[in-house]
Amino acid sequence: MKSIILDAQKKEKNALLEECKKNILENQAQCNSCVTIIEDATTKKETSSLLSNIPYVLKDNFSTKGIETTASSNTLKNYIPPYDATVYDRLNQTGAILLAKTVMDEFGMGGTGTTGHTGTVKNPWNLECIAGGSSAGSAAAVASGAVPFAIGSDTGDSVRKPAAYCGIVGYKPTYGLISRYGLIPFASSLDHVGILTKYVQDAAIVANEIKGIDSHDMTSWDSSQIELPSQLEKDISGKKLFYIKEIVDIENYQNPTEELRIILNQFQEVLKSLQELGAVVESKSISKDLLETLPSVYTCISSAEATSNLSNLTGIIYGPRGEGKTIEEIIVNHRTNGFSPLIKRRLIIGSYVLQKENQEKYFENAQRVRNQIVTIMHSFFKEYDACILPCAASIAPKIANANDEMKQDFAVLENHMVIGNFGGFPSITIPSSIVSNMPIGINLTAEQKEDEKLLNIACKLEEKLNFKGGL
Amino acid sequence: MNLIPTIGIEMHCEMKSNSKVFSTSANTYSKHSNNHVSALDIALPGTLPVVNLECVKKAILMSSILNCEIPEMLYFDRKNYYYPDLPKGYQITQSHAPIGINGKIEIPYKESTLKIAIHDIHLEEDTAKIEHLMEESLINYNRAGVPLLELVTEPVFHSKEEVLAFLEYIRKIYQYTDISDADVKRGQVRCDVNISVALENEPLGTKVEIKGVNSFSNILLVIDAEIARQKELIENGKKEEIKQETRRFDESLGTTVRMRSKIDAIDYKYFVEPNIPKIKLDKTMIEQIKNSIIELPLSRMNRYKELGLSKEDIMILTKERNISDYFDECLKLGRDAKKISNWITGIILSYIKKEDVSILDISLTPKELNLLLTSLEEGTISNKQAKEIASIVLNEHKSVSECLEKENNQISDDKLLDEIVQNIIAENPTQVEAYHNGRTNLFNFFVGAVMKETKGQANPVLTKEIIAKYLNKEEE
Amino acid sequence: MSKFTSEAVDKYAKDLLFELSKEENTMVLNEFEIIEKNMEQIMKLPNLKETEPMTHPIELEMTLLRLDEVKDELSVEEVLSNTEHKTMENIIVPKVVE
Repeated sequence: MKSIILDAQKKEKNALLEECKKNILENQAQCNSCVTIIEDATTKKETSSLLSNIPYVLKDNFSTKGIETTASSNTLKNYIPPYDATVYDRLNQTGAILLAKTVMDEFGMGGTGTTGHTGTVKNPWNLECIAGGSSAGSAAAVASGAVPFAIGSDTGDSVRKPAAYCGIVGYKPTYGLISRYGLIPFASSLDHVGILTKYVQDAAIVANEIKGIDSHDMTSWDSSQIELPSQLEKDISGKKLFYIKEIVDIENYQNPTEELRIILNQFQEVLKSLQELGAVVESKSISKDLLETLPSVYTCISSAEATSNLSNLTGIIYGPRGEGKTIEEIIVNHRTNGFSPLIKRRLIIGSYVLQKENQEKYFENAQRVRNQIVTIMHSFFKEYDACILPCAASIAPKIANANDEMKQDFAVLENHMVIGNFGGFPSITIPSSIVSNMPIGINLTAEQKEDEKLLNIACKLEEKLNFKGGL
Repeated sequence: MNLIPTIGIEMHCEMKSNSKVFSTSANTYSKHSNNHVSALDIALPGTLPVVNLECVKKAILMSSILNCEIPEMLYFDRKNYYYPDLPKGYQITQSHAPIGINGKIEIPYKESTLKIAIHDIHLEEDTAKIEHLMEESLINYNRAGVPLLELVTEPVFHSKEEVLAFLEYIRKIYQYTDISDADVKRGQVRCDVNISVALENEPLGTKVEIKGVNSFSNILLVIDAEIARQKELIENGKKEEIKQETRRFDESLGTTVRMRSKIDAIDYKYFVEPNIPKIKLDKTMIEQIKNSIIELPLSRMNRYKELGLSKEDIMILTKERNISDYFDECLKLGRDAKKISNWITGIILSYIKKEDVSILDISLTPKELNLLLTSLEEGTISNKQAKEIASIVLNEHKSVSECLEKENNQISDDKLLDEIVQNIIAENPTQVEAYHNGRTNLFNFFVGAVMKETKGQANPVLTKEIIAKYLNKEEE
Repeated sequence: MSKFTSEAVDKYAKDLLFELSKEENTMVLNEFEIIEKNMEQIMKLPNLKETEPMTHPIELEMTLLRLDEVKDELSVEEVLSNTEHKTMENIIVPKVVE
């Protein structure tokens, strides 16, 4: 099993740090992946952790005491938190070295990496393409080989999609496995801490070091019985996987592009690899009507929670103080200038669906659909060990064509990973092959708290696929 | 026109606890600003609420006292709105599943009682404090996140007296149970009043909400003012001008003033708080809390009435739980209710008031008082002696038995003391003359001399009387 | 005829304490239309009314409520550290009118 972190154990730590520093500066110049680079980072006293003196980057929505934290938003320009996110605190305790806070889509709302206040993040594979979002900078940094791992966050697929576009591993654990304390929220019931690495084993190692119940986060749970890297090498023959045929059958697409055809064919190849490993792969069906509602269910719930979560941004206690004579004016000024257009649009939608007269029809119905799809998945997971699906309908789009405007015909294929957020299911993307010189990935999802099993299947598949990341 | 007012009350009370309801900063009063603030209290991005068990227990306690239905699951909602004293832009409260619904409580009212229907009681957090200067305002976040219990009644009151009786009784319960100090002066109790006026037996009139009434005297003023306003409009045929709106009380005008109308009423967009999981309330814990409910003030008042105590005495004895408990302790030990009552309302309460201490901390404990009163009953000591002993026990922290012993050996024989005093005066002519020439402090010299002669056993009061008699006689 | 108007959109923005440009307003209107259409789809799903709205993704077996202890208070300096608009102990804002 490959692992950059294990390889790094033998390296001289000061040299490793210097190398990564150099790399991250280069990555920044090339891809614009960082908001803040910690140039004076130094090695620390060795600890017994595998992450001791391993450099990494943190998405800029994690609170880092004394270090500017912006969530890539102008409303938090120059905001210096007086407290640490639990994830950051735990990484500090392992001795890992923070090298940079990375660029993201503002507040996590976006799937392109183009809405951050310091500009667009470019894909290291092709600088004309997006890295995806919202954990764009973290994905770009790992994909370029600058650092062995990065921390991101995943609300609708924002670790797993950029991972696919950048040809790396993106792991979103079970909801509550890793504490969200200090993670600037987008949608609290959908947000997850995620890990980006080149290889599955590294994702398991990192997650294992930062997981665990946190008294600061009531939605976290006791995972002391779970050892994430412990089952990676287990033989997966006999494991049962399913895919959703409405998503992978080309007949369901009206005007499929050639690229889509290739992607779906390659997916079938991946299924064959799984079967060669002794796993059973079967097709399951979920009503197309239900699947097609997923994007709007996501928009509804996430926008509503976001509207509430972003109400604290007024410029009164932190963030640039707005101009004006009255308190209302200074707040309006701060928010009008501080939020990008996408944020404003989402907040309005969020506000709309929560209005007393609308809530039943929009917000609560969306929550009902959420329940329905999650219930179906639970029923499937009674019989199957994991779900496997392609990550996206295309390779990373060109920057010029990418935007976050709501489209009427959202391909389910583009948006199914949100199921992992709806039900808090552990879900991971691993790179599978190259299409048109760009990487594509496949997505595995398992039942809640079955992270060890998920990582096991992902690891064995990774080994079989032997993806040669050309960077 | 026989117009009847109908009133409902929302009473917000700051709870007692070490830390706040969702954050771990201190729930305490401070002269300073912003020195009891946690990251969550100022809504720093990324912070999360963690529910304080103690506050939940106290909420369950009050819910039980109010005979409410307690939900199976504990969870919270966000009430979203903007105001500078609300840093998150939302308040965490309970709207879907309050900790208590459909309750009722009997309160003392005039010579009888009233049964008040409770709509709900729920747990929520308080806002920060804004201080207004000339051109600016200052924000102090110490109060942000302090636990609040909000009690909502059904519209069952028909006069300001009923409302006042209710508020005072609830406040007493909060103090009795240590749920809250309910100190109105410190702003710990704040009310919203809902008032409508209609003809008898007619359906209820348009409801008007008056927010932010922060003292009990203002409650009375507000109710009077608003009823008067509505009555006048109705009597002048302008019933439609009473709008369903939110008003506030303008103290200088002595009337209520509109804050906002139904059209621009705020939509709070309530939704379930996602950061706090739904928690199954442990039935055993709820049982334990129910079983721990102490006897309520009304029940004690009724008991004391049956013991034949006067209305005034009952009010004093039930003013504070500790005093009532003290009284009940004494009763248990067997002494007469009226006698105990007199001792408490007299010498003990004066002492407590003067020294600013709690009845829990005085040396004259129920056991001690019992011993004293028993001796009194048996005739071993006189009333006067008993009072003296009580005073010594309270002020010098001696025990009653110690004093009784002394009392037994004390020389109170008039004739004997008379003789001793005469002798001392005869033996000390210089001091007598000095005393008459203005050195009145020498009085104590004579007292001391008598004490020395009697080895401290002379009855001090009697001694002083006799000395005074002879010294003044001498002067003549 | 759409039930969404640009005035309504502006009002929503006002209530959220920010302003929209004309372009942004138009984009929101378009997005409202899409949401509306999608919501109609949702309402056609079977058994919707019988389904409980899901508020949390995971049901936790056990959640411990916090003990009533004081900890992690910020210093006054820390509270005021992210703004220049302050006195020794307080945050200053333009006068708040009731």
